Order: sequence, then C-alpha cells, then structure tokens
Amino acid sequence: MAKVTIKNLVKAYNDDVIVKGINLEIKDGEFVVLVGPSGCGKSTTLRMIAGLEDINEGEVEIGDRCVNDLQPHMRNIAMVFQNYALYPHKTVRENIIFGLKKTRVSRQIIDERLAHISTMLQLENLLDRKPADLSGGQRQRVAMGRALARDADVYLFDEPLSNLDAKLRHHMRTEIAKIHKRVQTTSIYVTHDQVEAMTLGDRVVVMQAGQIEQVGTPMDIYLNPRNIFVATFIGSPSMNLLSAVYDAQQQVFKINDASVSTELLSQVNTANLKDGDQVKIGIRPDFFDDERFTQDTEDYWQLKNIMVDLVEPLGFDKEISFHIGGQYVKARLDLRSDIQEDDPIDLVVDPNRVLVFDAETGERI
Amino acid sequence: MSDNIAAQEARLGHRLIAPAALIIALLILYPIFFNLYLSFFDVELNGDKSLVGLNNYKTLLSDGGFYSALWTTVIYLAGTVTGTTVLGLAVALLLNQNFPFKNTVRALVLLPYFAPVISVVFGWQFIFDPVNGIYNHVMVEVLGLVSERQNVIGDPDSALWVVIVFDIWKHFPIAFLLILAKLQSIPSDQYEACAIDGYNAWGRFIHVTLPECRFVIGTVVLLRMIWNLNRFEDVYLLAPNVETLPIYIYFQAFTGVIDQGLAAAISVVQLIVLSGLIWFYVKKVLNW
Amino acid sequence: MLLLLFCLFPFVQILSTSLKHQADWGNPSLIPAQLNFEAYKELLGFSQQEVELPETIRMMLESPAISEEQRAAIIKKFTSTSDIFPFGRYMLNTFVISMVTAFLSTLIATFAAYALSRLKFRGRNAFSNTVMFVYMVGGVLLMVPLYQMAVSTGLASTVPGTLICLLLIYLVQTLPVAIYMLGNYFRTIPFSLEEAAMIDGYSRTSAIFAVIIPLSRPMLLTVMFYCFVIAWNEYLFASVFLKQYQDFHTLPLALQTLFSSKNAIWDRIMAASMLTLIPVVIAFSVANRFISSGGTAGGVKE
Repeated sequence: MAKVTIKNLVKAYNDDVIVKGINLEIKDGEFVVLVGPSGCGKSTTLRMIAGLEDINEGEVEIGDRCVNDLQPHMRNIAMVFQNYALYPHKTVRENIIFGLKKTRVSRQIIDERLAHISTMLQLENLLDRKPADLSGGQRQRVAMGRALARDADVYLFDEPLSNLDAKLRHHMRTEIAKIHKRVQTTSIYVTHDQVEAMTLGDRVVVMQAGQIEQVGTPMDIYLNPRNIFVATFIGSPSMNLLSAVYDAQQQVFKINDASVSTELLSQVNTANLKDGDQVKIGIRPDFFDDERFTQDTEDYWQLKNIMVDLVEPLGFDKEISFHIGGQYVKARLDLRSDIQEDDPIDLVVDPNRVLVFDAETGERI
Repeated sequence: MSDNIAAQEARLGHRLIAPAALIIALLILYPIFFNLYLSFFDVELNGDKSLVGLNNYKTLLSDGGFYSALWTTVIYLAGTVTGTTVLGLAVALLLNQNFPFKNTVRALVLLPYFAPVISVVFGWQFIFDPVNGIYNHVMVEVLGLVSERQNVIGDPDSALWVVIVFDIWKHFPIAFLLILAKLQSIPSDQYEACAIDGYNAWGRFIHVTLPECRFVIGTVVLLRMIWNLNRFEDVYLLAPNVETLPIYIYFQAFTGVIDQGLAAAISVVQLIVLSGLIWFYVKKVLNW
Repeated sequence: MLLLLFCLFPFVQILSTSLKHQADWGNPSLIPAQLNFEAYKELLGFSQQEVELPETIRMMLESPAISEEQRAAIIKKFTSTSDIFPFGRYMLNTFVISMVTAFLSTLIATFAAYALSRLKFRGRNAFSNTVMFVYMVGGVLLMVPLYQMAVSTGLASTVPGTLICLLLIYLVQTLPVAIYMLGNYFRTIPFSLEEAAMIDGYSRTSAIFAVIIPLSRPMLLTVMFYCFVIAWNEYLFASVFLKQYQDFHTLPLALQTLFSSKNAIWDRIMAASMLTLIPVVIAFSVANRFISSGGTAGGVKE
C-alpha cells in the first residue's frame, strides 16, 4: 500500500479543459471519495491516476514514485469499473485470478486468495459460471473480487454501484465499508452519489468544473461547507438558501419583511460586510426544530406562527414547506410534530447551524 | 521511459500497422506509380523496356479493340449493376417476411456468392453447352423459341448476356444482404403509421421502404460498379471472348502479341475512372 | 421457390453431371440414369485411366486465349507417358497457400485493425483511407507492374520466389477486407475490458492477446474464412505467376487447364468443381454458425 500525491493535475481535450490543476494528498490506507456532478472531472482524475488517460500537466505520485509516464500495468493498481468490465470469455474464477496470474505468485497463494475473496464476497457457488449467467449484483461482486484479489498499492473505484438498483446499492455500500474497515487499503472512490460519499469516505473531495471545491471529513463538509456549491450539493433534501440584505445600522440580515439579528449569528464575521451587501442565508431542512420539543431555545432563532403550505409524510420524518420573508423553505421534522397543512407552527433554529454566504462569490462569510 | 503515455500509444500504433502498411505500400501504392511509368515504355515480358513516350496512349486511342472493350464494359456494368440491385432489393423484401425455414433459405441464397468462381463456371458452361446443355434443350425442344441449337457462349455477343446473368446470379446475394440489414432496421411503427394514414402495401413501399433504403441502394450501386469494373475471373473463366477492360488488359499483357506497356496504359485509364468512382463513393455515399 | 431454383440450379446441375455417364449427358433430367462415381475416384486417385485425346491439342493451338508457354506445357503434358490429373496435389497446393494467406492476413490485419480502432497516432486517417482505397482497387489493374516487379527482382524465375510473390499478392488482396471487418468488430468490444486488463497488470500488447483475441475468436474465424475463400478462388495472378510451374498449380488454374485440355470429360470437370466447392461450403457453414454465437454478452453492463 502507498500514499498518492497529486500535484497540479491538468487535463484538456483540444480547448476543453476538463481538469484544471488539482492538488491532493491521499494518505496510506485512507479511503478518499471524489464526488461531484457529472462532467466535473472526477472520473478523468481517477483515470489519470490509473494511467488510462494521458496527463497534460502536473504529476501523479504513487508512494514516492512519479507514475506520469508509466502505463497502467506498471503502476500496481487495482480498479473496479462502472460497467464492471468482466471478461465475458472467462469464468468468475478466471476473472478473479486474472491479475494475480500475471504477478507470478505461487499457485498456493492464488488458491488461498481466491478462497478468501470468494468467501468474503459470497461467490463460492458462482466460481465456474461466466459473467453472462450472473445477476447485476453478482457481477458487481465479481468485479470487486477481481480488484481485491490483487495486492495493489492503490484501489480505484469508478462509480462501482451506479448500475445497481437502490436496495442492492445500499447493501453493497455497506459491504464496501465493511471490507475497507477490514483491509484498510488506500482507496480512491468516484461517485456522484453524495450518500456514498458521506458514508464511505474517510475524507470527501467535492469537485466542480474541473476544480476541487472542498476537501474534508464527511461531517466537516456537511456542517462547514466552504461555499454555496458544496453546501447545496451535499445533503438531502438540499439546503435552503434565503436571499437577504445586510443592514449595518440595525445589525440584521433582512429577508424581505423578516429578519435575523447578526448578534444571534455570532459565528458569522460581519467585519467585512458593508451596509446593503447581498448575502444568502443557508439553513439545512434538518436544522429546523419544532419549538414544543426543544429545550433551551432562548439563544435560538425563533420563527413564530409559520403557516405550513404543504406536508409530505415520509414515515418517521415529514417534510413541511412554508415561507420565510416570502421565500420558499423546506424543513424536516420528526414523527412528534403532528402538523396539518394550513396550520401555524412555531419553529426554532440553532444559530450555530445557520450559514451565511456572499451572494456574489458564493463563499462562506 | 521519457515518452508520455500518448506517445507510447502512438508508437505502438505505428508498430502495429507497419506490416500491413508495408505490404500495401509495396504492392499497391508503388505499383500504381510504376504502372504509370511503364505506360510510357514498350515493355517485354522479360522486363526489357524502351521509352516510347505517349505512343501507347496514341495506339490506345486509335485502337478499335479498346473502344469495343470499353463499350462491352459499359454494357456489362449497366446490366450487372441494375440486375444485382433490383434482384437484391426484391429478394430482400421477399425474405424479410416470416416463413418456415427462413434462416435456411437465407443461407442457401448466399451460396452463389461464397462459391468459388472456378467451381461454378463449368456448371454454367454445361448449362449453355450446345450439345448437352439444358438451355438449348428448353429453348429448342421444349419451348421451340429458337429453331436450332446455338453455341451461346461461343458467340461474344450472346456470351455477354450469359456473363451478365452469371454475375447477377453470383453477386445479387451481397446486395440482398446489405439491403436486408437495412430493412430490418426500419422500425415497424413507421409502417404502422403509414398504414393508419391510409396507404396500401405499395404506398408503404414507396413512402417508407424506398426513402429508408435510398442510401444503402446508392452504396450497392456504386460498390457494384467499382468492383465489377475490376472483375476479371468471373468473365474470363466463363467466356474469355467477352472482352471487358480487365480482360482486354490481360490479353494485351500476357497473350498473343505481348504489349505490356499498352496494357499499363489501359490500366492507367481504368484506374483514373475507378478513382473517380471511389472518390464519388467516399464523398457522397459515406457522407450521406 | 423460383428464387431457390435460380440460386441452386447450377449447383444441382454440377452435382448431377458429375455423377452421370457420358451417354447420359445430353439427357436434361437432373437425376442420373445410373450413378457413376468414376470421375471422383479418378480425381482422388483411386483408379487410373489412360486418356488419349489428340484432337484436344489441335483445339488448343487454335485458341487465342492460350499463351505459347501454356501451349508447350500442354503438348508436353500430352506427350508424356503418365497422364494422371494430379487433383489431390492441386488441392493440397491450393489448400496450403490459402491457409497460409488466411492465417498471415488475419494476423497482420488483427494488429492493424486494433491500431485503427483503438489507438491514437499520427497518420491514422491516412492509413484508414488508404485501406479503403485499396479495398476497391482490383488487382487486375496492377498485374503489369506487379509482374514486372517480380521479373526485375528475379523472384519470378525461381519457384520459392514465385510463391512468395503470389503469397504477398494474396495478402494485399485480403488485407483490406480483413482489416475492415476486424476493425468494425473490435469497435463493438467495450474498451473497458482492455482497460481492466491493463489495470490487472497486462501491457497493451499482452492485453490484445489475453482479452481481445480470445473475445474475437468467432470473428477471427470468419475473417480467416473470407481470406481463405479469396485465395482459394484466385485465378488471375496464379495464372500469371504459376504458368510455368505446373507442379505448383492451384485448383482454379488446374481446373481451367483440365477444361481446356480434356473438353469432352464433363463428368471429371464437374466432379472437380464439386470437390473445389465442398471445402468452401464446409467453411461457410462453420463460419455461419460462429457468427451467430459468441460475442461479448455479459461482460459489461449496457
């Protein structure tokens, strides 16, 4: 196993710059998830690490070795492909040991490894089948097995779960998390699914338009997004964003007829704000609480007599829609809040969870 | 290793095409220019040559044999191209329907195309044989259309028609294959929509099938022209007296009074025509 | 039905005539009055029979289509004591050269087609256009320069040289179609399979052998079949180059010689036609079966 260092990585097709200078250090044994919308350059970055794409500028190091000019087979990496890329003419067994055979390890080790992998992934009964005779979930497990059988420095995952149905995807996500906990390999995992990113990553790298927006632990990304893009990309349902104006005189952010005092939002640094500056106030739906079930709400942002437009019950949770200062907002409350549509409700928000962004640059204030 | 991955890939690419490129350069590209060069010489079979300038071309233009070969070629092309295309289209329409043993019938229809020329020409010669052939039997004794048995292949004029029919027989399967593939890709809802709009089978053929098949028919026509312009074996082995251009070249180059320079000159002319057709094919058909 | 009659009648005619006695030839019925396997036996060397046909020689000499050498060869053949038509030998000649052509052409075409369909390099478009062009230029246009090249390099004057020339010509005639077919096929194989192999420690080249070639086996066989048939059928260059080397004649050449030398023996010619046809039909049915089976199903998710 090894660490991976990416220095100022650039990739362009003709005039189209896909990856615009990425720097990233992945520690030995760390599980890093690259997440972002499609076309953000995350897969291209992964493929450059794998050697499947040429590097235009910058450097990729695996261990302490620059691998820029090494072809994939010389990089000692393993990869799980989005479409699995199983060899259709080989059985499951042959697929799994295909890479091992090339490394000239002894027959005995190959057999041991095969037994170990097939037990771990519950493939024992499928070893003599061909990929065409397997279900989607089984193929996915074979693809995992083929990668895990290798003794690679780095394990790469290119959206490995995106072709599975929701239930199977959840199951395999848990499996991958378990496997990583056991084997502790350096892993780089690309996905567009923020739930996978949050649940699997030791660290999450949020990318957009060929650049890294933020790197951090999942909770760090969730609670302290650096900008509007990260804030809205991570979390479901998406963070509410309210357009507001800074009023220096009254020390408030005005949301049309509603307002919130800057004193309350003590973590927001207003030193650089001028009177009349446009901001966005971000509140995750999860951070609204029903006043009746919350203690010590004296320091909270109080929202009295809110008229509920819509209630969407989800079982344990329910999502309610309403307006603050004429702007549309969603909140998620639990089972206890027995609220009906067109009824009023008193809500509170922990001011520490309220984020303020510069409306122009999208950066956190 | 200082090359980046793209350069390594390009190097592998060059290495992989090298054998094929070498053979093509040596046996096609070089000969094309060598041919042009030879066409200005008087060339013997043993390789002796003397410069004669444009004389070969002058001879060519004043040679009745050349014009008659040209004319034969035009008739041959017109007959075979029309025949293979029409028959190919008809058979494709016919076999696009469902009926028992469909696959077997399709495979059998392809048989003439894959059969070696040499193994079928004698069968055809036998059919038209003046003494034993079934053609004369049917024409003379059964139908009474012709009063006496004829040597159909022995006479160049009638042999041309035999050669055309033979070519249609042998090559319509490829037209059939190409058109059938296209027919099968036409979505059936187009026919259904056309039927709902009140068109009968003929109307559907005119308004759906033909427009959809236009490109593939164009391809068939041009490819058949290009390949039949080069066709040698089928004609020569069945009836060497039908002198299309390739056969005329062959006779000039290797039999009777050998004049390889003249043969080279004819080849040059034919190659120019051919290149024009290929250019047209690439420009028009492939870019449609 | 009419269609099948049109397609298959000549084949039936050949088969029927090959099994007929001489007296039966004029009979239009396709069913031989009495089955006669003599022609096959003779061709395959099970029986020998002396045939003396002096009128053939006269006929030969009148034919304008026959060159001096061929005339001499025929006369020699007829004046020689043994007069067995060595069909087995010709078949072997043809088989060997066709197999070698098919094998080499498929091999070279595999590399070229792989490069064209998968790799980026300078000159790729030029090469693929050239292949397209060559595909459509027939060998007949180049017989003079090719023959002159063979003469001036001295290759035409020795047997091995002649065979090499012929082999090269067959290669160049089969390569374009082979490259074309294989290139199209390779494009249907998901690229990620090779990527997976490269990640698994296989170099690009060994990935071709470990993944692409096994996956393409049905197509490779089909292409080999095509090349085999092209070489098996070839007459023009065989006649130009092999004329003076009777022992190395290929079947098309031999059959043509047989036809012009022993005109009266229809059953032998038809039997020879049948025997020439059979390997192709076998290869055709095998290739046909391979085309429909196989493929890359299951390896990747669509």
